[in-house]
Amino acid sequence: MSKVQEPLREKYRSMTPSQFFYEHRELAGFGSPSRALYQTIRELVENALDATDVYGIMPRIVIVVEKLEERQDFYRITVEDNGIGINPKYVPQAFGQVLFSSKYKLRQARGRFGLGAKMAILYGQIKTGKPVEVYTSPIGFTKIYYYKLKIDIERNKPIILSYAEHDNKTLWHGTRISVVIEGDWSRARSRVYEYIKRTAIATPYADIVFIDPEGNMITYWHSIEKLPRPPKEVKPHPHGVDIEQLKRLIRDVKAKTLIEFLVSAFQGVGKRSAEAFLKWAGLDPGLDPHRLNDSLLGELARKLREYPKFRPPSAESLSPFGPEIIEAGLRAILHPEFVVAVSRRPKAYEGHPFIIEVGIAYGGEIPLSNEPILLRYANKIPLLYDEKSDVAWKVIDPRSFNWKDYMVVFPAPVAVLTHIASTKVPYKGVGKESVADVPEIEHELRNALREAARKLRLYLLQKKREEEAKRRVITFVKYTPEVAKGLATILGDIDEKTVQEMLLSAMKRRLRLDDEEFAKLVQGLEISIEE
Amino acid sequence: MSIEEYIDKADIEARKRALRVFRERFREILEQIKRGENPTIMLPKRTLANTIYDEKRKLLLLGPEKLSRSFFDLHESKKFMQTLLMARIIYEALERNEYPTIRDLYYRGKHTIVYREPGGRKHEENTWDEQRESDSVIRDIEVFTGLLREEMLILSKEKGKVVGNMRIRSGGDVIDLSKMGHGAYAIEPTPDLIEFVDVDAEYVLVVEKDAVFQQLHRIGFWRKHKAILITSAGQPDRATRRFVRRLNEELGLPVYILTDADPYGWYIYSVFKIGSITLSYESERLATPNARFIGVSMTDIFGYKRKKPYLTEQERRNYIIKAKDADIKRAYELRNYKWFQTKKWKIEIDIFLERKAKLEIEALTSKGLRFLADKYLPEKIETGDWIE
Repeated sequence: MSKVQEPLREKYRSMTPSQFFYEHRELAGFGSPSRALYQTIRELVENALDATDVYGIMPRIVIVVEKLEERQDFYRITVEDNGIGINPKYVPQAFGQVLFSSKYKLRQARGRFGLGAKMAILYGQIKTGKPVEVYTSPIGFTKIYYYKLKIDIERNKPIILSYAEHDNKTLWHGTRISVVIEGDWSRARSRVYEYIKRTAIATPYADIVFIDPEGNMITYWHSIEKLPRPPKEVKPHPHGVDIEQLKRLIRDVKAKTLIEFLVSAFQGVGKRSAEAFLKWAGLDPGLDPHRLNDSLLGELARKLREYPKFRPPSAESLSPFGPEIIEAGLRAILHPEFVVAVSRRPKAYEGHPFIIEVGIAYGGEIPLSNEPILLRYANKIPLLYDEKSDVAWKVIDPRSFNWKDYMVVFPAPVAVLTHIASTKVPYKGVGKESVADVPEIEHELRNALREAARKLRLYLLQKKREEEAKRRVITFVKYTPEVAKGLATILGDIDEKTVQEMLLSAMKRRLRLDDEEFAKLVQGLEISIEE
Repeated sequence: MSIEEYIDKADIEARKRALRVFRERFREILEQIKRGENPTIMLPKRTLANTIYDEKRKLLLLGPEKLSRSFFDLHESKKFMQTLLMARIIYEALERNEYPTIRDLYYRGKHTIVYREPGGRKHEENTWDEQRESDSVIRDIEVFTGLLREEMLILSKEKGKVVGNMRIRSGGDVIDLSKMGHGAYAIEPTPDLIEFVDVDAEYVLVVEKDAVFQQLHRIGFWRKHKAILITSAGQPDRATRRFVRRLNEELGLPVYILTDADPYGWYIYSVFKIGSITLSYESERLATPNARFIGVSMTDIFGYKRKKPYLTEQERRNYIIKAKDADIKRAYELRNYKWFQTKKWKIEIDIFLERKAKLEIEALTSKGLRFLADKYLPEKIETGDWIE
């Protein structure tokens, strides 16, 4: 280790996690009052969703932002869900101790190891001195539990200021949490609204109510009943481990030999494939994993990553939206005339499984724009910042994707939704607002976009044909009275009406339209001649 | 007495024939519709590309290319409707013993089709907007029915005039063209209904300019030189061309044409002689292939080889006008037309392009009306100094 890094390590050791995270709050998105307001809402909403749909509950979420009377820049943010609730035993740690989380496992989830909500609490406490208030009741509990908490930052421990139990006659379950922070609503407003709208697009099965500090209420009621497939917890894939993870796994898995360790710690590794790997790697299957030194661990991690014959990572840990949910969400919020969505089959990069999904909404109330409107999601979370540096933008950018091949000519009313579901989303930088150009992901995004765009093209082609047929019929029909009158007048022995009817039946035959199709095309068409 | 009794019998016969032809031709369209087919009008194409110069007969004729105008064809549908609309208006006028002009027909057929699309947008569309459109439809009906507009009793504003020692019958009256005073007989729009009673003349002189016609008339040119004197007053209309053609064809009178010395004058001559591009379908009846260009020629102005010019150096300086870019451009166009590719025309066009000079007929009257009437014209006719 170099000398320059030595003092940093020292400093880290002398700080509690609470202090450390507060020092680096801008990394977590709490760098300014407006950003903090947005980020707090976001963290609490994402926790609320993770407590509901993952467990098969159709989410009902209420978000209230209030301005406090005592200070112009203090806001109370309250988020209530109908989720699984939190066991009252764990409430103090869950909200009052950094790095305590139920999500510290390997499966796709919205929240990031329980850090986000605690950052909001920490930030609020330091800026306003106000505690966090929590009401919760797990499913089946007959009481509702109330806590008023602060975090002891020096010792990273919860301080319980107040505790109460109430009767739960309605068997309500869920969590309601209120934090007070220093914020800036006027600057955050458009981002917050955009965030809630995009969350609603991704959760058409949820009811979301939002009340802003000016008293405006916006509601998104669910438009479908279907929930996405919940993710399952899986063991890590051997391609995706580093030395630190190896150490943790060796500690957690009670294995006495290397071969036993491999079989029980990793997904898709059986006795036979473990033997084959160890032979390939030149390692003794009987070694005690606890006795491996750092250099041997490094060697093992490298070999695990490089061995080409492991089964591809399992996608069971992933929870894609599925085309039905994407289409319902785009339809309910954007009111387009056409939507299509595709979910690709699972793929992997560096041992991390991922699924790419793309939805396209076209026409209707979508405004004309010189480039597609992009709605990015990673593990169901909307990404709002740094759009142009995201791999999704790189793929849909009209300068790189030939939209014309799919009959989309800009300015066009088109919105594209992209979703990356993965146990590890490769974010670009620490802001976690844009996804890096990993070749496998870029390739899958492009394939997904093409697949969806091909369906859009079919629709547009069909629409164009119908419009042409309509234009043809309208043209012929509007000239028919003149033509019939001309022939009837000249020939003298046939009346106008008869000629008109003959013309219409010749027209249907010519255009290969049956009576019903024809009637549909001319429905509402009125013609008069002003001589 | 009913009004019909005042109408010329020749008109009544023409109407009956036209009505019959209309019924026959449009019956075919109805039959197509009855059979459930796409109603289609077949027409010869009236384009420069489909205009053929018949070198043997020296006529501009319509080529063999046909155009099918179908009602159930998005791009032809409106034209088809316009054709039926115009046919009806002409048919009604024929039935009612009317004599519409092409402008009347334009107004009678111009109306608005109002339609509301499914979805509520209201559109308005005129059957036609400009007379150019309705005129074009009239020409289509002429080629479709094989009837010229004169045969359909459609009038156009005619400006041709004639004087001379001859008598004609028109609308039942005998008219003496030598007794028109200072005026002249206005050639009627339907010259085929004129009957030649008797004539005492040796040739026909057609003058492009009305003013020059009047001057020659006042000094008794036609009487002295035994000529039928005609003016087209600019671009010749159909009636004037048809009248000149009949004089040549039926009475055997040679026809001389006098125009300005410039590409526009030359084209007027060629319209009389071989027909025009837009009306090439009528050339067989309107053109006078034997017509001769008497002048004013470039060789009259500048001389050529042994021929002496009619103008002195001084007169040329006074009368010649510098050719404009448009004149030069037109000259190059004419040089490409087959019918201008004879030896004498090549000399004319070459001199023009070299000198970039043009001259109006009035220049010769300025030199002296007598010079034009008693020296220039008789001398050129006598010595055969014309271009075929």
